[in-house]
Amino acid sequence: MDPNKNEWVEERLAALRPDGQWHADVSRGLARLRERRQLKGNRTRRWRWVAAGAIAASIPLMAFPTTRAFAQRCVSACVGQSNWVHGLLAHNVSGAVPSSVLSKPTERAMAPDFVLADASGKPVRLSELRGKVVLLNFWATRCAPCSAEIPWFIEFQKGYESAGFATIGVSLDEDGWSAVKPYIEAHKIDYRVMVGNDDLAQLYGANSLPTTFIIDRSGRIAVTHVGICGKGEYEADIKRVLDERD
Amino acid sequence: MDASREALVEMNVGEDRLDIEAIFHAHYERIARVIARVLKDPSRAEELAVEVFLKWSRNPGARGENASAWLYRVAVRAGLDELRRETRRSRRESLVRFFRPSPTPEDVRTAKEDREQVRAVLAAIQSRQAELLILRSDGLSYEELAAALNLNPASIGTFLSRAEQTFRKEYIKRYGSQ
Repeated sequence: MDPNKNEWVEERLAALRPDGQWHADVSRGLARLRERRQLKGNRTRRWRWVAAGAIAASIPLMAFPTTRAFAQRCVSACVGQSNWVHGLLAHNVSGAVPSSVLSKPTERAMAPDFVLADASGKPVRLSELRGKVVLLNFWATRCAPCSAEIPWFIEFQKGYESAGFATIGVSLDEDGWSAVKPYIEAHKIDYRVMVGNDDLAQLYGANSLPTTFIIDRSGRIAVTHVGICGKGEYEADIKRVLDERD
Repeated sequence: MDASREALVEMNVGEDRLDIEAIFHAHYERIARVIARVLKDPSRAEELAVEVFLKWSRNPGARGENASAWLYRVAVRAGLDELRRETRRSRRESLVRFFRPSPTPEDVRTAKEDREQVRAVLAAIQSRQAELLILRSDGLSYEELAAALNLNPASIGTFLSRAEQTFRKEYIKRYGSQ
């Protein structure tokens, strides 16, 4: 090995020394740094203002029922779409896209019958509600969109019970009644709630929560809503199914 | 926000700016020089040095007592990256020049320049070894090198001699042992 190797390399590297008395200009550098820092700060501030402006502009828009309904539909479509994709990936039992529009009475499938005990232990059979319009909601205590819908269902139960309407909540909580009972009390749910199981969920193709069915007076599924949807949309569907005369 | 709190925030912002500028004053020249070692254009080196400080000022983890090590590390990498970009660019240009009848006197002069040869070798060898050689040639001690490149101080000697060996081999391969 060449003993002068290090010197040889050092000599070569010495060629990298900047020319003559070259020195970086500190004051010019500092001015540039200040300018760049200012520029970046301004850009961040500008984006903050744009975001704040967009939020401020959208708040008054929410005051109009039309724009509010539009926003609700957008959210509903997004949630619905993601659930639909999820459903396809999970091989939805029915294999079909859930219908979120009211289908014609002649095209409706019968809602599979089931018997489940309610919170007081009393068995409830779906077919016994024939003659009534039933909103069947699959939900769970830990599902945030489900919780958003529950107050509406309480309201519907109160408002349309006399017109022949009933809400049924089927919870798919793994912890069963120990999770559901305190929830019913805390949220003052006054419609019938049962604890379901996977078999029932599979039977209905309820692969994601919430999934809600509106069942007509003859026990046929008139509308299926996968994911959260607007309160107005539910209400319109309920009214239309209640108004149907076979 | 009440007036006293606002004043306190303003004071903190002002202090932060002073801290940054103090570090800038202390290190800018050397950092710019490290970058200028590998780049043809000294004003580009100054621009890159400012960018290094800008990055540093926005990275709270890099502040404090390790600031200079961080600055050297980022500066030498920024310089080498730019050098590699320049090398790629000139390779593309030389492909275009291939169709020209003969090289210009400027080409001949540039190719002969020692400095460009050294830079070409540094651009070709492993980044870690090139970083070590550049910082060493700028006069950093073994301790400073270890801190800047996150290496074990006890192994710096070995790393350095390995890097020198690689440099020598690559240089001789390209330009002979003159």
